[in-house]
Amino acid sequence: MNCRECAEHLYEFLDKELTPEVEREIRAHLEDCPPCGEHFDFQRLFLDFLQARCRARGAPPDLKRRILRELFDE
Amino acid sequence: MSTATPATPAPGPVDEKRASFEREALVHLDSLYRVALRLTGNAADADDLVQETMLKAYRAWDQYEKGTNAKGWLLTILRNAFINEYRRRTRHPETVDLDTIEPYSVFSDVQDDDPQGTFFDRIVDDEVLRAIDQLPEQFRETVVLSDVEGLSYEEIARIIDVPVGTVKSRLFRARRLLQRKLYDYAVGMGYIKANPA
Repeated sequence: MNCRECAEHLYEFLDKELTPEVEREIRAHLEDCPPCGEHFDFQRLFLDFLQARCRARGAPPDLKRRILRELFDE
Repeated sequence: MSTATPATPAPGPVDEKRASFEREALVHLDSLYRVALRLTGNAADADDLVQETMLKAYRAWDQYEKGTNAKGWLLTILRNAFINEYRRRTRHPETVDLDTIEPYSVFSDVQDDDPQGTFFDRIVDDEVLRAIDQLPEQFRETVVLSDVEGLSYEEIARIIDVPVGTVKSRLFRARRLLQRKLYDYAVGMGYIKANPA
């Protein structure tokens, strides 16, 4: 696998959407190619950052109460 | 005739329906709310959209095959309700041609100074959410379902009713666009030096 092919699979790799065979090929390429490895690491850090920043908040507490009242007349 | 103490009445169908709804549907309230907030862009509409989704879901609960993917099922209801009833008044349909958006990686700009992307750590939650809100709608919903809610490509494709390949390409562009926005913001704030190239 060359760098271009590897880059094409970047997000599928990080999202764990690849078959085990392709995943193995990418891992092998990343071990042999530090620039691709750095790029993948950067993208992985970005996705982790995104998730951490956006998942912190949930529904406001009174929304659940409103829904329960509406559904079950509580 | 025996005088045994009356047994606790067996749970009726309504109690069972309620119990299974609470167990399988209400547990996804936070996810539904986060998605609703990003779709509508404001808390009041997000509240209403989630409430309406739960009401529709409860009415249709008999049609949901228990133990399957409740989160995906609920998100499909939520998205349809958004498109039919909210989109027109909350946000305007997209006028940009998504295919003309050229995504290039921020990595090429930062690989010398900050290859670990530590400048991201200085960007606060609200700024990230604002950047997501500025994405074109199709990108925004894909990013939220994937990166915020952690759904698979296949699940997203089912919810937004497009082929998996479309999910992939939208996700690719959306992430690059988002990265670019946040990088520009970080440069503006002085968190990282602009690449002179």
